[in-house]
Amino acid sequence: MPIFDVKNLNFAPSSQKILTNISLEIFNGEYIAIIGPNGGGKTTLIRMLLGLETPTNGEIKIYGKKLKDFKEWRKIGYVPQRASLVDENFPATVQDIVNMGRVSKRSIFSRASREDKIEVEDAMIKMDVLNLKDQMIGTLSGGQRQRVMIARALASKPEILILDEPNTGVDMVSQKRFYALLSKLNKEENITILFITHDVGVIVDDIGRVFTINQRATICNNPKEVLGCGDMTALYGTQAHLLHNHKHEH
Amino acid sequence: MIEMLSYDFMQRAFLAGILIATLASISGTFIVLKRYSMMSETLAHSALVGVAVGLVAGFNPLWMAVSVAILSSWTIEYLRSSFSLYSDAILAILLSGSLAVAIIIVSLGGAFNNSLFSYLFGSILSVSSEDIVTIMIFGTISLLLLLAFSKELYFIAYDEEVAKTSGVKVKFLNYLLVTVVAIIIALSIRVVGSLLIGALMVIPTVAALQYKVGFFKTGLISLVIALFSVVAGMTVSFYFSLPSGATIVLCVIFIFVISLVVNKK
Repeated sequence: MPIFDVKNLNFAPSSQKILTNISLEIFNGEYIAIIGPNGGGKTTLIRMLLGLETPTNGEIKIYGKKLKDFKEWRKIGYVPQRASLVDENFPATVQDIVNMGRVSKRSIFSRASREDKIEVEDAMIKMDVLNLKDQMIGTLSGGQRQRVMIARALASKPEILILDEPNTGVDMVSQKRFYALLSKLNKEENITILFITHDVGVIVDDIGRVFTINQRATICNNPKEVLGCGDMTALYGTQAHLLHNHKHEH
Repeated sequence: MIEMLSYDFMQRAFLAGILIATLASISGTFIVLKRYSMMSETLAHSALVGVAVGLVAGFNPLWMAVSVAILSSWTIEYLRSSFSLYSDAILAILLSGSLAVAIIIVSLGGAFNNSLFSYLFGSILSVSSEDIVTIMIFGTISLLLLLAFSKELYFIAYDEEVAKTSGVKVKFLNYLLVTVVAIIIALSIRVVGSLLIGALMVIPTVAALQYKVGFFKTGLISLVIALFSVVAGMTVSFYFSLPSGATIVLCVIFIFVISLVVNKK
């Protein structure tokens, strides 16, 4: 059974076509990148998968259930666009933020259980932010904030992690470290990864499939094929070139 | 201080002030973090409509204030979540609209008298034992609701959409928060006045935010600032024969300025 099963999805608010006839499936353990031009509907698609936007028509099932009947949201970790661009005045330490990942598991009036504390610490260790746990989120760099946001998503022990352009506002060094962490989560923790990116060339060796979204969806099971300049040009409507991250063997 | 507390009315005033400061600062922490600071002003003015109806029609002004403030809070939340309107614009429209309705009602009913005046500016020194019992009962219920859902409300204030995708009942909790805030405001206007309750709800949290500490400590600092301002304001107002509500607000603004200067980068 796929985690997400999308059939004939259309989104056309005010008669303006954003997404047309999208059908796709996402299975457990996959590592999928979504690429496409700005305004092509990538974020809209993710927001519809999460129930934040209502499709004009079509069907979305999560773990075999219709979106309105799905209750196990803890299985899904979501890191929105510009998550690392936080309000610097918001009164939150790194631990406060990561604790939010456990909120839906706790009952009212309850204090954090031993399991909650272990999962929060485990998530901070995985994302290498444990040493920052008492620091205010507003004082961290873009890369550090990005890792905190993912630690928050991981604290609920998700089966799928959905990230919308997670590298916005993050420097190149942090981006490389971030992709290594994502790959590790996918391979070692068997967490399904679905993320929007413009840097697909950098991680082409790691990802399993690419969804190209520009109003319609093209699903490519061999990422290296879709990343030929011809396809990229067709997708973006301009001359585009793939910047590939060559791996050197020593 | 001992001489001041030997008067029954001052004992009641201090008790009412401490209760309102606690309720206002704790609920205020959530509304400030949600960028809803103007909501306290708007609901206070809406509550005034209830007071006006109560005074003119001969109903209990307090219960009318509670009812109208709750209806107003639901209208704000409905407009915010169902239409693409700016939150601050919704609050501004309802604030001025409420005040206009209140003025028309009292002018038609000829009830613009000292009773309404006391709801505008508060009358902490004329708080009755019944007022205190009412504040204690409904204040305790409101406080328990806020504490029960504090971690969810904090998450929603941080990022409403992420909270929703994590399984938090965002819509229900947003309505719950505005309802609780409406009740607290309606209970408070008898004591500190509709023109001043917003200050007691918002300024302690804004002052606490200057210390740049985590959520729990921010709430605690906000509570201490609100309690200190109420006690200091009432003491000053007693010895210098000043209006108590206004003196409390000046005290809290004074602490805000100190917090701002002390924590200047």
